[in-house]
Amino acid sequence: MRMFATIAKLLVKRVLTAIPILLLVSALLFCILRILPVDPAAMSLPPNATVQEVEAMRAEMGLNLPLYQQYGIWLNKLFHGDIGRSIHFRQDVTSLIGSTLPATIELAVIAMMVATVFGLAGGLFLFYVRGTRAEAVMDFFSILLLSLPEFLWSLFLLLIFGVFFEVLPFTGRLSPGFERPLVTGFLLLDSLITGNIPTFFNALQHMILPCLALGIALSPSLMRVLRSSLLDAYQDDYIQQARLRGLSEKRILIRHGLKNAILPTLSLMGVQFGFLFGGTLLVEIIYSYPGMGNLMVDAIRNADLPIIQGAGLTYCVAVLVISIVVDSLYLILNPKLRVR
Amino acid sequence: MAILTAQNPILSARNLCVESVGAKESFPVLTDLNFSLEPGKILGLVGESGAGKSMIGRTISQYLPKGFAVTKGTLAFDGEDLVSMLPERRRNLLGRDIAFIPQEPLSGLNPVLTVGQQIKEHLLRIGLAAGENWRERALKEFESVHLPHGAALLEKYPHQLSGGMCQRILIAMAFASRPRLLIADEPTTALDVTIQARIVKLIAEMQKRDGTAVIFITHDLRLASQISDEIMVLYAGRPAERGPAKQLFSSPAHPYTRCLQLANPTITGPRRGLFILPERMPGLRVLKELKGCRFASRCPNAIEACTQTEPPLANIGPNHIAACIRTEKTPDIVPPPLAPGREVASARIHLNGEKLTKAYTTAWSPFAKRSSFKAVNSVDFSLGEGEFVGIVGESGSGKSSLARLVVGLDTPTDGRITLAGRDITANGNADRAYRREYIQMVFQDPQSALNPRRRIGSIVTQANEASGLHNSTRERMDRAAELLKEIGLPPDAAMRFPSQLSGGQKQRVNIARALCTLPRILVADEIVSGLDVSVQAQLLDLLLKLRDEHGFSMLFISHDLSVVRYLCDRVMVMYRGEVVESGRTETVFADPQHAYTRSLLAAVPPDDVNAEWSPVLAEAGYQVE
Repeated sequence: MRMFATIAKLLVKRVLTAIPILLLVSALLFCILRILPVDPAAMSLPPNATVQEVEAMRAEMGLNLPLYQQYGIWLNKLFHGDIGRSIHFRQDVTSLIGSTLPATIELAVIAMMVATVFGLAGGLFLFYVRGTRAEAVMDFFSILLLSLPEFLWSLFLLLIFGVFFEVLPFTGRLSPGFERPLVTGFLLLDSLITGNIPTFFNALQHMILPCLALGIALSPSLMRVLRSSLLDAYQDDYIQQARLRGLSEKRILIRHGLKNAILPTLSLMGVQFGFLFGGTLLVEIIYSYPGMGNLMVDAIRNADLPIIQGAGLTYCVAVLVISIVVDSLYLILNPKLRVR
Repeated sequence: MAILTAQNPILSARNLCVESVGAKESFPVLTDLNFSLEPGKILGLVGESGAGKSMIGRTISQYLPKGFAVTKGTLAFDGEDLVSMLPERRRNLLGRDIAFIPQEPLSGLNPVLTVGQQIKEHLLRIGLAAGENWRERALKEFESVHLPHGAALLEKYPHQLSGGMCQRILIAMAFASRPRLLIADEPTTALDVTIQARIVKLIAEMQKRDGTAVIFITHDLRLASQISDEIMVLYAGRPAERGPAKQLFSSPAHPYTRCLQLANPTITGPRRGLFILPERMPGLRVLKELKGCRFASRCPNAIEACTQTEPPLANIGPNHIAACIRTEKTPDIVPPPLAPGREVASARIHLNGEKLTKAYTTAWSPFAKRSSFKAVNSVDFSLGEGEFVGIVGESGSGKSSLARLVVGLDTPTDGRITLAGRDITANGNADRAYRREYIQMVFQDPQSALNPRRRIGSIVTQANEASGLHNSTRERMDRAAELLKEIGLPPDAAMRFPSQLSGGQKQRVNIARALCTLPRILVADEIVSGLDVSVQAQLLDLLLKLRDEHGFSMLFISHDLSVVRYLCDRVMVMYRGEVVESGRTETVFADPQHAYTRSLLAAVPPDDVNAEWSPVLAEAGYQVE
């Protein structure tokens, strides 16, 4: 019971602190983008528009008002769910983000799951072979893995499984000809909800390569942190004491060692997941994956300020949500934090 | 039920040798160990750190550190050799027939599992409970170790409990299976004296109930003599002396036993000087080349013959053996005369505290009312020039909080501190600078108090960085050389790193650092706890010598009453943030007025092995924060 009360307290506290953070980020985003030498009024008119037309547009868009008033208007619209209209796509930013965000979340979550599986398995194996000759070999490979970035993995996997063996698709989220159900925007989820099994498997196939690329790139650091936390935990008396009570090594590892060693690994996973949100960019481009990364690249290339603002805020919210989730998990797993 | 009639030893070692193997060179850590332990008996293992005491426990469990192995001899548990036994069979014995109690109770329990989860795991493994009735059994076991509120305890995590309670839980777990052999490795070293007494008595009580044979490992000869039937004194991995506890303590045959005894200050009777064991135990690596007695280099009775051949363990009485060729000379070892005490009655008062209070308030939270707790409550004290004042009390009594107020690490919530006539209560910048010149602090753990990346020479002159007195490297190195000479370290130590020094040497450096700018007052927080008695004696005499040379005064915080009795002119007894009794050390200890002081004193094992040790065993109600 105490645990739930503490988590509830944490949630309230974190949501309350999230408000000023979001305000600050929104102000920052707004100001920086206003300072950029691009004129949204001129951009939203045809190239042959006259100076008078541009001026009229500026007045209409409120660009002649003082900065704080512009911010106030923008913020007010934001509260009503209106982030503005994309200049380039001529579409509401909300609907653009609404259609790309689920794709990126899906990618990030599955990639994180892949990273966790590889990271935990690799970390346990590294720990298991400690002090043997195999450790030196494994160490070499884990450092090699650590030094390969995700876009290299993307290219390797794409060339091997997509181009050479031709066993997996490597563009977009779905092959042409498949029906695309739309309930939540999460393709895997939607196809399951609507019972569209062919679409589900096709979408899953499309996820494999990008998720593997991201997951493999993230896993070596998880492996190494888990290994070193396990080594630390095994220095502690309770492990020795568990042995002296005659518990089996397997039980000691799972129940006593891993339960303690998972804590530092979990905080690293939180950090990684936050980065992953902005870090899917290159992988999305390589696999032509219609997510936030691709949207951002287009927006920046076209100086599409409303999208950049909207995407920036989305990232900020995502990182805050992730950190709250990780902290709650931490509270569940580490009783010491529950005291006060 | 005690099984006192059994004749077969439950544990017996024959010519047991443990060596480091595999590495380039091999060296012994335990040599020619012979002993047998009968059911229901307690064997005390005594010696300095590095003597191999803990190695015996690890040999029994066969969880030896990497690179060590039994190379000779046998170690039989109930007739079965533990060394050659199949690992599965041995693991089956552990926790069921052979139980262990660790040194650090708080870290002996897994921090992320509840007490209930851990005792359940143990009870289910040894088959004492099945399914849900583990709970009932656990409560029964808690009851037998006098743990109240057992049901609530099951839901607690180790960090929510005190060290004494965790130790009780570990004892309950160890005795749950009615083991035939128990190994307790310094089970009370990390605990307060009063808790120590209760835990030791509890182990003895449980041991009697089950007729368990116990190996009690400790560095405290006095404690071992109180609870053991037999004592084995280890020196550098080899038994120096073994005999019935009372006989061994009242008439030690081996000079090492005698020296250990005399290095420990007394708690009753006239105060005497401490015997200073020179240098250190020979390192394990040099033992192989050593021809003669291992103790010869430190022995006050050593003669030429002692360095020629290793003395065998010879009978010197019924069941009493010692490895010394001159045991008849051992009683000639006497403590040095007591350093003349200083008369400080008329001395000028240096430091004065009036009604000092420090309250800690919980952090602001929208969910709870802020509560406050007085760590130090209206404490009056004074410290005269050249005076050593001891502060004693259990952990949580406010000793360290008071020290933090004195050195200015905390600002009092109420009351007044004056230092040499100046009011420094406000603890402003000017006060701090003023205070720094007068007061320096020596921290408890030299391991973490000394920056491992700096050389000793720069550590001891660290104070010069702040005061800007002599800042040239030349001057600092000169000052470092002076300081090292004063604390008895070789001059070349200045260029070494802390990791290259022994524990005792590090604590000397720690003291030297505080003395660098010649402060008038030292505040020392538990600076000799956790050190061997021999090192402790060296440090205590060093402090007395340095006082003679520099005339500083000291607030000496310690939970060890004998040490305070030896060192301090006056003593203050603290309990729950308040000073309950204070006065001249000898008067307070000889005729304690407050019940708390009496219970503290009663908790110390008596100097006279035949005197009855009757600590107050009443348990204070436990609190969970």
